[in-house]
Amino acid sequence: MDAGHNEERRTIIQVKHLTKRFEKLTVLDDISIDFREHEVVSVIGPSGGGKSTFLRCLNLMEQPTSGQILVDGVNICDKHIDINRHREKMGMVFQQFNLFNNMNVIKNLTAAPVKLKKMSKEEAEDKAITLLRRVGLEEKVHSYPSELSGGQKQRIAIVRALMMNPEVMLFDEPTSALDPEMIGEVLDVMKELAHEGMTMIVVTHEMRFAREVSSRTLFLSDGHVEEDKPSHELFDHPESPRLVSFLQKVL
Amino acid sequence: MPFFKTVEKLIVNYGNFFTEGVRNTLIISASAVLIGTVLGALMALARMSQIHPLRWLATAYIEFFRGTPLMVQLMFIFYGLPMIGVTFPEVSFIPDFSRFMAGIVAMSLNSCAYVAEVIRSGIQAVDSGQMEAARCLGLSKKQGMTMVVLPQAIRNILPALGNEFVTVIKESSVVSVIGIADLMYRTNGVKAKTYNTLECLFVAAIIYFIMTFIFSKLVAYTERRMAHGRRA
Repeated sequence: MDAGHNEERRTIIQVKHLTKRFEKLTVLDDISIDFREHEVVSVIGPSGGGKSTFLRCLNLMEQPTSGQILVDGVNICDKHIDINRHREKMGMVFQQFNLFNNMNVIKNLTAAPVKLKKMSKEEAEDKAITLLRRVGLEEKVHSYPSELSGGQKQRIAIVRALMMNPEVMLFDEPTSALDPEMIGEVLDVMKELAHEGMTMIVVTHEMRFAREVSSRTLFLSDGHVEEDKPSHELFDHPESPRLVSFLQKVL
Repeated sequence: MPFFKTVEKLIVNYGNFFTEGVRNTLIISASAVLIGTVLGALMALARMSQIHPLRWLATAYIEFFRGTPLMVQLMFIFYGLPMIGVTFPEVSFIPDFSRFMAGIVAMSLNSCAYVAEVIRSGIQAVDSGQMEAARCLGLSKKQGMTMVVLPQAIRNILPALGNEFVTVIKESSVVSVIGIADLMYRTNGVKAKTYNTLECLFVAAIIYFIMTFIFSKLVAYTERRMAHGRRA
């Protein structure tokens, strides 16, 4: 929240002139922005404003039409780069959880790190149990996704991303598909992550989370970053008329 | 009941004709499904390939074989191909080998087209978020396919593949027209010998039904077993 303090932190992701078009529709229009280590950034804005597309461009789940995305100084849009190695460093959590339906919880958590030789099976299982305990789900080790509630699935999806020891966590509307009474349990896990210093970029409709947990909030509308400020400032003193009218609608 | 008396007499006197027919029907059907499944899997891959000409060819193949009668395809392969110099070899210790081959090839090529669609739709029915999640963890497309998508697709594919086998058993009766001694061919033979047309067809129908019924029950059973839990 202290701008001077932020300057000293290492820049993890640098977005330069990012543009994304689908056919003739321009979803992201020349966006340039930096994300620093330990920052928690919320991305808010009207639906169709390009929030999810922006997030999905950061790990190249969407291919940018033009521009550069530098992760740790490496341009991941470069054709010669092994994108899989970069995705390991960027955990992603989806609106629809996307737990692997053919695997039980422990398999969901350990399959990728073991396959990609990040750790041995035993190490992965130990780590998985430790993380599951932290989100209060250690008794679900052998359950299948179909046996879990939405909130449980999402907490496990967060753990699955954490298993890879990511440098950044990307959240794509993580609570939008949840029943209201389950939103809290997922937000609590995210808050804890934020307090531990995880770098997080969160596309969200949860304005309280944006305001209270994230250090910085972006307002994305019509493919532009309309405002980019420390969260309290953005919510207390919105400048652009679009943000003012958006906040009036959602708050 | 003279009808059932005649049926009984047919089964007693000509039982070995029918059993030989059943054997050949099963040989042809099983070979066709087996070969059709292997080719169909490859065809499905081609159909979903990023390489445009390959995809186009596979699509054309599938559309053509599903859009023309099996009878025409069979005739084309058995009578047509030798006219342009393509013949199936004879093997001394298996009687009628080339005839059999023509039947199996036609049935396999036909089945391949249907199986390809079964496999493709089975894979595409798996939620795309599953592959996305795999890719986001740093897994390659191939790893995502083998670890996540295919195990789930199998659940859609296996029952449909079983149904394809049932269809092939029934459809295989057309090979009798090129003189393969399958159940239908044998039935016609017994019919010509005894003039008990109705009774012969009755026996054939019952035997076909028993084969398909057993198999579709098996399919239903595996389907139930696989449906346990595991699904989102």
